[in-house]
Amino acid sequence: MKFHQLAFKNIRGNWHQYSAFFLSSVFSVTLFFIYAAFIFHPDVINGHIRGGAKVRTGMTACEYIIMIFSFFFVLYSISAFLKSRKKEFGLLALFGLTNGQIKRMVYYENLLISLLSITTGIGLGILFSKLFFMALAVLLEVDSPIRFFIPPKALLFTAGCFFLLFQAITLMTLFQVGRTEIVDLLKESKKPKSLPLASKWLVLLSALCIGGGYSLAVQMNGNNAVLVMLPILFLVITGTYFLFTQSSVVILRSLSRNKPLYYRGTNLLTISQLVFKIKDNARILFMVSILCAVVLTASATMYVFNQSQRDQIMAHIPQTIGFVERGLHEHQVIDPQKLKEILQQDGVEIDYEAKLAGVPVSIMLKPNWQQDVLVVSATDYNQLARRVKGTTQVQVDKGHAVFVYPYHEMSGGFFRENQPVRISAANMGMNLVVDKEVSGAVVIPMEATSFLLVLNDAQYQEMMAQVPDSYKVVAYGYELKHWESTGETVKKIEQLVPDDQSMYFRSRVEDYRDINQFNSLTLFIGLFVSFLFFIASGSIIFFKLFTELQDDQAQFRALVRIGMSLPEIRRIVSTQIAAIFFIPCVVGIVHTLFAMKSLSNLLGGNIWPYALLVVAIYIVMQSAYYFVTRRSYMKKITNEVFVN
Amino acid sequence: MSVLLAQSVTKIYSSKGNVSYKALEDINLEVHPGEFVGVMGPSGSGKTTLLNILATIDKPTSGHIEINGTNPTKLKNKQLALFRRRELGFIFQDFNLLDTLSIKENILLPLVLEKMDVREMESRLQECAQLLGIEHILAKRTYEVSGGQKQRAAIARAIIHRPSILLADELTGNLDSKAAKDVMESLRQLNEQMNATIMMVTHDPFAASYCRRIIFIKDGKFFSEIRRGTNRQAFFQQILDALSVLGGNFDEVSPTRV
Repeated sequence: MKFHQLAFKNIRGNWHQYSAFFLSSVFSVTLFFIYAAFIFHPDVINGHIRGGAKVRTGMTACEYIIMIFSFFFVLYSISAFLKSRKKEFGLLALFGLTNGQIKRMVYYENLLISLLSITTGIGLGILFSKLFFMALAVLLEVDSPIRFFIPPKALLFTAGCFFLLFQAITLMTLFQVGRTEIVDLLKESKKPKSLPLASKWLVLLSALCIGGGYSLAVQMNGNNAVLVMLPILFLVITGTYFLFTQSSVVILRSLSRNKPLYYRGTNLLTISQLVFKIKDNARILFMVSILCAVVLTASATMYVFNQSQRDQIMAHIPQTIGFVERGLHEHQVIDPQKLKEILQQDGVEIDYEAKLAGVPVSIMLKPNWQQDVLVVSATDYNQLARRVKGTTQVQVDKGHAVFVYPYHEMSGGFFRENQPVRISAANMGMNLVVDKEVSGAVVIPMEATSFLLVLNDAQYQEMMAQVPDSYKVVAYGYELKHWESTGETVKKIEQLVPDDQSMYFRSRVEDYRDINQFNSLTLFIGLFVSFLFFIASGSIIFFKLFTELQDDQAQFRALVRIGMSLPEIRRIVSTQIAAIFFIPCVVGIVHTLFAMKSLSNLLGGNIWPYALLVVAIYIVMQSAYYFVTRRSYMKKITNEVFVN
Repeated sequence: MSVLLAQSVTKIYSSKGNVSYKALEDINLEVHPGEFVGVMGPSGSGKTTLLNILATIDKPTSGHIEINGTNPTKLKNKQLALFRRRELGFIFQDFNLLDTLSIKENILLPLVLEKMDVREMESRLQECAQLLGIEHILAKRTYEVSGGQKQRAAIARAIIHRPSILLADELTGNLDSKAAKDVMESLRQLNEQMNATIMMVTHDPFAASYCRRIIFIKDGKFFSEIRRGTNRQAFFQQILDALSVLGGNFDEVSPTRV
């Protein structure tokens, strides 16, 4: 057997430990390559693909994230591998392998596994890049599909980056090898584990930190967000760290003090072993739960933003189609009759029509802000306010008025309560008292129709009668049924609008499609990165479990002799693996829910359905991972324990 | 009525290459209540195979086995586990105490698996601990006590559920001579005071001298049997004589003294 064959055989022998790490590495290489293939795609570089540049920037950012994450992930995994093989190295040293030779063996192993993951990763990347491009083409709504092309640059870039990454990490980890005495290496596995201890004060600190972080998160709002964001992060992360290293021990130990529970069947073994398992893996569980919280919060936030942007568009453009005509009977922009004909031709139904006529008056809103404001009648306004979500109906008496500004996000403060105002149009003037101001557009906000002054019907009529028709302004709006899919029809209507009038016509569909496209692209690209995080964190847990496999096998072998049955062993293993998998998941989810609470304070809408959907998907995926792990772990246990 | 009965037990291991190996051939054995039986033989004689078969973790190729009136080869896996848990007590060479449990929890394990009442458990624990002289180490962890104490804790675990028979496998193999003496004294006490039935496999003549009856096997077959008179020292000499007749290699298990 030649020396490099030893390395090869080591990998083959430890394959079940390597497998999860290998798969995660392969996935990150694949992802990196696919993004690189898009970034270096000639059509994208030459700007042949609409929106390609924007996507390219996003993907470049993701490439950095993947690289940084992979660095830490690989560094951690490889050094954990080496730690778990101390006894093996001790044995080799005993046979007379020099430190240099052992290092060379480790180097060969890492080289082999890195080359294997890079080639497999790029191979899979080439295989799936077409599929990825197809999905991207759909989202970008490009007419011709993005052609299949493997840019040599992407190939070199991916291979080079990951090769360097693996090399750097291998060199770093080689320092670990050969620093301990042979005797200590051999004894490594036999070293008894002392009973985990926990400090009362640190437990208290952990509770205070998490509690403090959570209560700050609940109280967070637009005004103090910047101020409390970092303290929340700091408190929650510190608290979580001590939760796993200290509180977990205290909680499990207190369970073991409950005799009727503890001394009952397999509980004794499950709980007592869990104390060690959690304490030994506290740092990993901590990292995984923080990672889980980050991934979930990021995904949920993206999703919530997507949804709240949709709501915002609905509020800013209250009807699917809106246009403004100057002159009471003028149809310069578009003839409503022609518009309806087109709708009828395409079989698009109208949900409701809006028509708001009024007189523009010029008012000094704030210092240096002279603005045309449309005077409308309370009846007309209320009729629309009844239909448009998020707007308020008003009651106006003679001599009074209510001021309406279009966007809820505006800070208001245009009028004090009962502030007098004088309006004048044509050759008449009127003195009014502004009762209050409300927000929300009932028609498309466009120049004069952005701000409204709602008058009592009688006074409105009075004004309308005095002002010539040509001076008046009318806002038209058509809310369509199933408006999201009326893009083609709206485009046809828009073509009827003369070029010099196009600024007076607006439709919601185009805006919606733009943000929808942007968001689905973000989701699509971000999804893969989240998925990478998810797989990698699971693989760390997977690996940790399998390093303890031999100890567990020996224990269960003894227990079987004493008379423990297979179902009992299965119950113990299931509970323990479930704890290791789901405790960080639950902690991450609780963190996420508090983060979502802050977000809902900021956005002011009901974001829970969206956030919970993301959490539910995560739980389903984590459960799948759990069942796969449990299956392969249980198989290893039964194979070893029951077949002598 | 016998606690343990083995009639013409034979075990043949065959591998894929059609090479079969007879580990045990026509072994007959009967252990009565309150007996303290030793099984001795050189390495490769089939001691461990015999013990594994009696411990119901291995099945004989042919022959009949009965423990306390039950034929364990007829039981299904789950019942077999329960049978082992209730009828048999095990003592191992390497103790097989769990590091994650305290000494007390280790001893209680068989009762805990049976979901016994906590008060009953405590009273039984006190009884066993007193008998074995390990009351003061009950709260300790496994790595805090000596080898002899570990083995006595393991004995306590093996008897706490009051099994019909105690099976011990080289139980002094990992102990120094002083600790081995203490452990064997405990076992003798158990046998004499509690009338416990014990079967022990060993290659150590000193440990074997505590038995009342010793069966020698060689190459998987019954070789001879000797019984103890009143004097243990004389019996020890008898064992050495028998071993010299038996021949074979007895220094195979070089116990690591800890």
